Amino acid sequence: MQTILIVEDSATMRAMIASALEDLGVAVKIDEAESGFEALRQLPRHAYDLIVTDINMPDINGLELVSFVKRNEAYRGIPLVIVSTEGSERDREKGLDLGADAYLVKPFEPEALQDLVRSLLDRQAG
Amino acid sequence: MAARGQGGRSRSAKARREFVSEVEEILERMRDDLARLAEQADAGRGSDPEIVNGLFRSAHSLKGLSGMFGLDGMSELAHHLEDVLDGLRMGRAVLDAPGIALFDESVTLVSSTLSKLDDETGREGLEETLGALVARIDAWTRSGAAEEPEAAELDLDPAMLRTLTEYEEHRLGECTRSGKGIYVVEADFEILSFEEGLAELGAAIKELGELISTLPSPGESEASQIRFSMLVASELAVPDLCEQLGVSPERVHQARAVGAPEAERAPAAPVPEAPAEEAAVETSLKSISETVRVDIRKLDELMNLVGELVTQRGAVKAIAAELAQDARTSRHGLALAKVHKTLERKLQELQAGVLDVRMVPLRQVFDKLVRVTRRLRLDLGKEVALEIRGADTELDKLIVEELVDPLMHVVRNAYDHAIESPEERAAAGKPREGRVRVEAFQRGNDVVIQLADDGRGIDADAVRARAVAQGLLGVDEEISDREALDLIFAPGLSTRAEVTETSGRGVGMDVVRSNIAALGGIVDVESHPGRGTTLSMTLPITLAIIQALIVGVGEQSYAIPLNSVRETLLLDPADVQRSDGREMLNLRGEALLLRRLADEFGLEGAAGSDKGYAVVLGLGDMRLGLVVDDLRGQQDTVIKPIQGPASKVRGIAGATELGELGAVLVLDVSALVEDAVRGREAASERTADGGESTSAAPSDADSEREGDE
Repeated sequence: MQTILIVEDSATMRAMIASALEDLGVAVKIDEAESGFEALRQLPRHAYDLIVTDINMPDINGLELVSFVKRNEAYRGIPLVIVSTEGSERDREKGLDLGADAYLVKPFEPEALQDLVRSLLDRQAG
Repeated sequence: MAARGQGGRSRSAKARREFVSEVEEILERMRDDLARLAEQADAGRGSDPEIVNGLFRSAHSLKGLSGMFGLDGMSELAHHLEDVLDGLRMGRAVLDAPGIALFDESVTLVSSTLSKLDDETGREGLEETLGALVARIDAWTRSGAAEEPEAAELDLDPAMLRTLTEYEEHRLGECTRSGKGIYVVEADFEILSFEEGLAELGAAIKELGELISTLPSPGESEASQIRFSMLVASELAVPDLCEQLGVSPERVHQARAVGAPEAERAPAAPVPEAPAEEAAVETSLKSISETVRVDIRKLDELMNLVGELVTQRGAVKAIAAELAQDARTSRHGLALAKVHKTLERKLQELQAGVLDVRMVPLRQVFDKLVRVTRRLRLDLGKEVALEIRGADTELDKLIVEELVDPLMHVVRNAYDHAIESPEERAAAGKPREGRVRVEAFQRGNDVVIQLADDGRGIDADAVRARAVAQGLLGVDEEISDREALDLIFAPGLSTRAEVTETSGRGVGMDVVRSNIAALGGIVDVESHPGRGTTLSMTLPITLAIIQALIVGVGEQSYAIPLNSVRETLLLDPADVQRSDGREMLNLRGEALLLRRLADEFGLEGAAGSDKGYAVVLGLGDMRLGLVVDDLRGQQDTVIKPIQGPASKVRGIAGATELGELGAVLVLDVSALVEDAVRGREAASERTADGGESTSAAPSDADSEREGDE
């Protein structure tokens, strides 16, 4: 079974993203981290197949998390989706620049996230 | 409504619950932040950028959340707030009183929208107000957004610059322009345990300047270590910064040296600097030297020393009195008595000073209650308003920590069992919304925490019946409603649903009472069926020193905490009546149950004679007259827990050192009063090697009681 890590400080958003991912059509295990620090702590403990992260979080921001993951030999291959509120074109560009695989604007349709995640997981498997 | 997935219904139901409680939390945070900004504006100070950024983050979250739930009006409003706040935090506008008022109005409006989540027409009614408010916000917003001026040349790793969000870039620019030094501080941690160390370093940095960003990267050993590069702005130069933070200079990279502020900035209406930054180096250094963090154990040691001094003081007093009585030494005695007076006063000051350091407000516990109940309300589907009063009341830090569990327990009980469903309440002619009030206040040397609900109340008959069924109470035993209510604290009173439903409470209340008793406090309950229940916890302000009445039985002395002594009487044998093996005293027309301390602990004493004193003990409304041979005065005492077999004896709370009297046992008043009022036999029969039981009380109840301790 594939494992997905959701990094998001809002409990509601975490629950909504998790809810969308449970309807992927393939069985996945979902882990949730409510801060960037928690994500950093969980990364070495699990083998994740995909990470979904917010940008604006209180401790480290999502861009910093992306940068960390993509510069780390062990995690570089994990597909990474940024989910953030619309508005900041600069943040979006930076995220993709740093190596994020996709950027989704909130509010989003669950189907949009599902399609994105499905294709990233497929690419990973194939 | 969103949460549009076909399956995952429980997930989306969960999302909905999370939504309401999270938005409530956000609104609460916004109210706090706005209040602080209003204070700053009133004081003529600029807005703290951190608070403005906090508000921006709140509005941003609100927008995202309401958007996901299809609440378009709310999302639109949040969007406008976010824009305005973005302008404020980026220094494109200044917050004034009308602006704060607009924010306040917005928070209130979002709050009303939230309460009409299930009421679409009600929500539509609010749309117009929402629209009007948005228009006013737009009108208030000052235009004139200026381009960010070019930041000065910084010697920074481009990889780091790339991870900064727009806001962080803005703060970097602001700090550079104001002439601060810009540094990157590096620190390595074990990847599995970085948080504590990192949090400490972060807090230290915030004391010295601004922590703009924290970038994690793989450490020396990629698998086990993690490196954090912290972008810091400070008025300190590298050597000072290193010294204050306790990091070596090699770990600090200077991107820009401290310098003069750059001239004339472009934006027409800059956000004034936060006071902390404005007041420059002196204040930030000062604040470090003015606060010390101390391990609570060190304070305990200090407190113990003070306690021992207090004991020695008693001895000095006794010596002075002795000297004064003898004509040959009376002059010295009187001189010593004078010195003793000063010593006593100074000791009191010292004691008060040490106590004061240990005091913390109850707020930290109450805040936890608020968070938990918010969740509970949603989970239980009940409408309950929680009112908190007296959160500034202070108690000893150790007591506050120990209060979390019992308070959580009784509040949860109130929500779960005491408050009826909205339908039930409506049927009983009560408002649909239940009320729970938690109130703390100081009364003399005690702090009282009261928890009052307007729920179903406790049915004394149901408790009585249950107690009889469980053998806690004899079939023919008659007890007052008052005493019956008190049985909810009896260990082993069923936790089965039938009791909790009929009585309202009763789940684990014995644990609550013993938790509170361990702190030297007492719990008391008052209830009116159909109208509600009030629980009162009376706690000493500090654990360390209490005033005690010293009483004697034969050769033995005992200490009784003075806060549970109502009065003392010289016993007149003519007033004592005996019936059913119980002794009663006619006290101003009321019957007072008497127990002899000598019997309680199987002592020789002057037992049997009617001479002596009755010490009237009070536990809530329960009274007990404890008969002793003599009264030996009042003393400040330091209670210490005791080890060994004596610690198992019910009725003993601990021991204390009393100068010339040596070690003395401290009585556990709540256990003595409870047992006596409930007709249990004396504690002497229940010690480890106790004699035969002579009591009529059912033995299984006793084994339960013992097992509990």
